[in-house]
Amino acid sequence: MTDLLISTLTQGLIYALISFGVYITYSILDFPDLGVDGTFPLGAAVTAVLLTRGVDPWLTLVAAVAVGALAGLFTGVVHVCLRVRNLLAGIITMTALFSINLQIAGSNLTVDRGTDTIFTSAPVMALLGDMTLMGRKLVVSLVLAVVIKLLLDLYFKTKSGLLLRAVGDNADLVTTLAKDRGAVKILGLVISNALVALAGCIVCHEQRSFSATMGTGQLVYGLAAVIIGVSLMNFYAASPAARGLRKIRGLRVLASPAGTTAVILGSVLYKLCIQVALSAGLPANMMKLVTAMLFLLVLVLSGRKGEAIIHA
Amino acid sequence: MLEVRNITKIYHPGTVTEQRLFENFSLTVEQGQFVSIVGSNGSGKTSLLNIICGSIPIEGGEVLVGGKPITKMKDYRRYATMGRVYQNPAAGTCPNLTMLENLSLADNKGRPFGLGRGINRKRVDFYREQLRALDLGLEDKLDVKMGALSGGQRQAVALLMATMTPLEFLILDEHTAALDPKTAEIIMRLTNQVIREKHLTAMMVTHNLRHAVEYGDRMLMMNRGHIVLDRSGAEKAATSVDDILQQFNALSLDSGT
Amino acid sequence: MKKLFSLTAALLALSLTLTACGKQEQTTTPDDGSSGDAAQTEPYLIGISQYGEHASLDNCRIGLLQGLEQAGLVEGVDFEIDYQNAGFDDAIATQIAQGFSAEDVDLMVGIATNSAVACYAAAEDKNIPVIFTAITDPVQAKLDSGNVTGTSDKLPVEAQLDLIRQMQPNASTIGIIYTTSEPNSVSTIAEYQEKAPEYGFTIDAVGVTSQAEVTQAVDTLISHGVACLSNLTDNNVVGVLPAILEKTNEAGIPVYGSEIEQVKIGCVASAGLDYVQLGIQTGLMAAKVLTGEATCEDLPYETISEYQIYINSQELDAMGIAVPEALADKAMEATAAE
Repeated sequence: MTDLLISTLTQGLIYALISFGVYITYSILDFPDLGVDGTFPLGAAVTAVLLTRGVDPWLTLVAAVAVGALAGLFTGVVHVCLRVRNLLAGIITMTALFSINLQIAGSNLTVDRGTDTIFTSAPVMALLGDMTLMGRKLVVSLVLAVVIKLLLDLYFKTKSGLLLRAVGDNADLVTTLAKDRGAVKILGLVISNALVALAGCIVCHEQRSFSATMGTGQLVYGLAAVIIGVSLMNFYAASPAARGLRKIRGLRVLASPAGTTAVILGSVLYKLCIQVALSAGLPANMMKLVTAMLFLLVLVLSGRKGEAIIHA
Repeated sequence: MLEVRNITKIYHPGTVTEQRLFENFSLTVEQGQFVSIVGSNGSGKTSLLNIICGSIPIEGGEVLVGGKPITKMKDYRRYATMGRVYQNPAAGTCPNLTMLENLSLADNKGRPFGLGRGINRKRVDFYREQLRALDLGLEDKLDVKMGALSGGQRQAVALLMATMTPLEFLILDEHTAALDPKTAEIIMRLTNQVIREKHLTAMMVTHNLRHAVEYGDRMLMMNRGHIVLDRSGAEKAATSVDDILQQFNALSLDSGT
Repeated sequence: MKKLFSLTAALLALSLTLTACGKQEQTTTPDDGSSGDAAQTEPYLIGISQYGEHASLDNCRIGLLQGLEQAGLVEGVDFEIDYQNAGFDDAIATQIAQGFSAEDVDLMVGIATNSAVACYAAAEDKNIPVIFTAITDPVQAKLDSGNVTGTSDKLPVEAQLDLIRQMQPNASTIGIIYTTSEPNSVSTIAEYQEKAPEYGFTIDAVGVTSQAEVTQAVDTLISHGVACLSNLTDNNVVGVLPAILEKTNEAGIPVYGSEIEQVKIGCVASAGLDYVQLGIQTGLMAAKVLTGEATCEDLPYETISEYQIYINSQELDAMGIAVPEALADKAMEATAAE
């Protein structure tokens, strides 16, 4: 039981990186970026190739972020400069990446057990060598998710971060600030896709494999996690408990958690729901239906439709 | 000096709904002039503002600032020297950012938006002082999200934001139309004050004939893409609201509205 | 800052508890994973992860259970099965495999590559043995060494080429549709291209990236004037076999299958695999690993030792192809093969 909880938690934390990306594009920029379904395997493809060539596992993270950023740049340029609608721009990137991913990896690619991943790399073994692999996976993904969450929180408070939030909130205002809203959108897509590719990279480390179809449905996954997390957080923020905490000086931060915290929570909860459904013996073919219902339930219960949740 | 020269604006060109709004339309606004513009719906007054700001394309003619054409300049670049307040109070601020974040954004206009802290704590006192001057009780609400404020309060902050950094032109697009009469008066008074203090060149479209008469150095009345009345100086000072109302009604009858 | 501090504290506490429970686990898990003690009282627990619902894959599973029973193991007494299906979703396959690991199953069985790879990744920690089946190229999937073994459904390409040559003595070009992202298909195509000249054929291979592109690929091949089509075990292609046959029947081009199920659906013939047989072979291997008779390391992966010629007389008649006598004796009628 503990094992299952640990591995599900690990999955939730790793996939939270996708949700961070979706949080930026969909929640902040109001841009449903289907390119995610291509960027996620892109990160995995690059990682699988580099790992099999014996590149240091930690360097693959950097490489994945870089290629993800490029993919985001492409979607952004297609949308902003070539004036292609956001949904279509994402679809173009996704479609193109399918071929590119296969070009990079050759075909579905497996990394053999002898090759070091971040979970078995020297620095991790030095720190956490006493733990089981499963334990290391959890700690490393937790650290990654938390570090990225904190970096994002910091970024959202910078001038650039404020401007990014402003573009999603009121793009006309950004124009009157003499800033090119298109450039800001591209920046958002770059950051978002970099994160999604990083998620693909970590999944590749964890699964020791890249598969061309692994990206299917990842945008939907990310959306579900964001919406579940953010709406639950709204419930909480309106609850008496949160109101009580808000009155106590030192505990005020606990009363209104950041959106990024909500996103991690949503991702973990989502994976837990899937695991519960699997453990209960629900056929995998029904899983997407369960996802859709869960999605709908959260939307209805939270009493708000898409837009409102998003900008909470 | 702000100038539009021989501009042509056609909506939906080449379709059955094609509508020619401006043909060879020209207007010159002198440095430091405060122009109020009235006119019925469809007269072209908001289109004129949009053309000056580069929000909509034109089919012919030039827009010039200080004698230099800016027709090909992207909209966001034009705003380097312009500020704009819209009719919708929600349009001038970011509803999901706090007032402090909104003011900080506006305060940074003209400088790079890099990885420095978004909020400059040293400026908070300055913001408070500015807000106190509005006399709307906003100085204690810096951490409140803009969306939670009333329309009048948002519009006051929008005005403050639009004029926070040095600028030359202020574009006001029916910015009091969505407010209750009392708040509209307050905002109008603030607007006049800031235009005079900062010696701005301003163009204000309004539905309120009394505002058009009371404020500004020059008044234009537009109808179907033409200026039908243009008064400034002593002539404008002598113009009464009734006078304008009569003219306005005559036009409305003309155009059948 | 406070936030950061509390998070770090929580992280620290969590990792401490994890270290504790991690250590505990290590002492209770036998190092070699394959429990070799003969006096097994509790039934073995086998986790079967199948990539999706698919006739061939189902046959593998059915055969696997038969194989286990042939080895003298009785379900419910000697072993219990936890069967899960991933619905062709990689992320679900991962969660299924991790579920098996958490249950401490004695053996994981992965049916089809993606499920087998996910099982092997999840089994790494506890070194649980993994048996795979329905993988064409275990070497490419890196499942050829370590605590893993199984059976490959590598197609008897030469037998198939020989079969086509006997059925259609004058044929020159064989058309094949395959999924470009499927390594099994890619490697089989390579083998086809290498062996085809020996039998006087050229191969016209058209790649697709999804099932939706398959019918278009059929049109392309028909327009190229191929003498026949030969199928691989490519899921995208096999999944729309009836639609393919509709087009080829109209054009009068015979389609050769790669296993019995395809011949039942309407392919003229196949020198192919019986997946139930493959499953039985896998089940026998699984039994050896379970009972400790052998470890995965002792057992190299196996390809199917025998292939069978299946024919569909009705379809052959419709195409006007007569079965040569040399084949007629060996061939089995696919509909009768049940």
